[in-house]
Amino acid sequence: MLLVLLPLLGPAQAFNSLLGDESILNAQTKQVNQFFRRFNGEENARGDRYYPSDKDYRSPELRRKYLNGLFDQQNASMTDPMRDSFTKDVLSSGNPQFLNFHGGQWFAEVTTRFLYQGKDENITLFMKLEQEKLGYKWVISSVYFKHFHLMFNNNQESGSHFLHPLSHELDFMNLVRVFKDKEYVDLYTEKEYQPDYLTLFLYEFKKGNLRFKNVSKVKFHFFQINGWYFELSEFNRPGSNSGWLISGLMKIDENQKELLLKYILHE
Amino acid sequence: MTKILGILAALIFFSAGNTWAQDDISPSRKQAIDSLALEKVRDLSKYISIVGNKDTPWSEANRVIERTLELFADGALMGVSSLSREEVNYYGVREYLERLMALNYDKVNISWYKIQYISDLERQPDGRYVGVITIYQRFEGTTKEGLRYVDVTKKDITVYVERKTTQISGRIIGFWDVLLGDIRVSETKPG
Repeated sequence: MLLVLLPLLGPAQAFNSLLGDESILNAQTKQVNQFFRRFNGEENARGDRYYPSDKDYRSPELRRKYLNGLFDQQNASMTDPMRDSFTKDVLSSGNPQFLNFHGGQWFAEVTTRFLYQGKDENITLFMKLEQEKLGYKWVISSVYFKHFHLMFNNNQESGSHFLHPLSHELDFMNLVRVFKDKEYVDLYTEKEYQPDYLTLFLYEFKKGNLRFKNVSKVKFHFFQINGWYFELSEFNRPGSNSGWLISGLMKIDENQKELLLKYILHE
Repeated sequence: MTKILGILAALIFFSAGNTWAQDDISPSRKQAIDSLALEKVRDLSKYISIVGNKDTPWSEANRVIERTLELFADGALMGVSSLSREEVNYYGVREYLERLMALNYDKVNISWYKIQYISDLERQPDGRYVGVITIYQRFEGTTKEGLRYVDVTKKDITVYVERKTTQISGRIIGFWDVLLGDIRVSETKPG
């Protein structure tokens, strides 16, 4: 609980200056669940769920009304024409598109704080929903930790760092040279070799070298809408354009999608 | 006692017309579960207000803390964050309430906004359903010197819903039980 020292304010004044009226709270997209429902046109203005038997369930008018308010209005990089084009594609009368909680092609990027070698460090966990038995659960699918990447991310040619093709005749005695220098050891691996940072992360955690502190930020990446990518972030700020909103939008084709995924995952 | 009343309420809600698939939750069933979950959240809100109130006698506050704990699944945590720092502090429910009770104000007023948001229920691997109810709290504490501290927090409350059975007069009757779980408490910006 943050204790903000306020000078003597009248009760009504304090109340309004802190939160405004409840209609603003009502307008905020309070949960990711609400973002899904509003995007799909599956709830009324009070947040009560619509079901397929309800008249307004997924109605294009309702969706259009909600969609306008689901973008971060303060983000100038999402221009009006771009948003209009996205909305048009999503609401296309012949092929309207909806978000599906269990439909895959969306995942979470969770920034966490860990204590590592005596210092607080950010570690990004990429998480996705996975089915198991009767239901679903969030699982860690990938991890980004700058220290791991600095240690492994060197795609140099081997140069003079290789084991010659007759090394086997000498019982690979030249391995002594390989393990003399930490810096070049990666160059002796097969060309398909990719470090598995998640395994490395789990190893360091199990060895006691990483201690969890807290989650500092969460955002989501969506690839469910054909031809589009968008990012979802939480905006804790005054006014009705707050809560969970689209914080980034990009028109992409399939090839760009792969590239973008690699970029997001730091691959 | 609260638990017994809760179970009875659940039985009234859910024992009639037991023809739906046991594992599915129909819209009307969901509404009934939402009501039950909201009732528990309202109990929680009421208990927090009582525990935080400086006029509540110490023994009464402790009794209310015990009743509050009955609303929760074992091991539930409160993750508390504020606008001024990046950290999240994690407390057990008892610890959170005891800290609230011990806050050094002369007068505390805790009020709740009428807004609440109830998520869909999702099934988890063990078959239980999980949902989240979001509510908003206004806290106001005044020191002896008359300085006032105010914050508004959003509380995202985990709700576990589980199908259980009980035997009444030799008959086995199914009902849905609702327990509260982890709560994320985050300070919100002025509206």
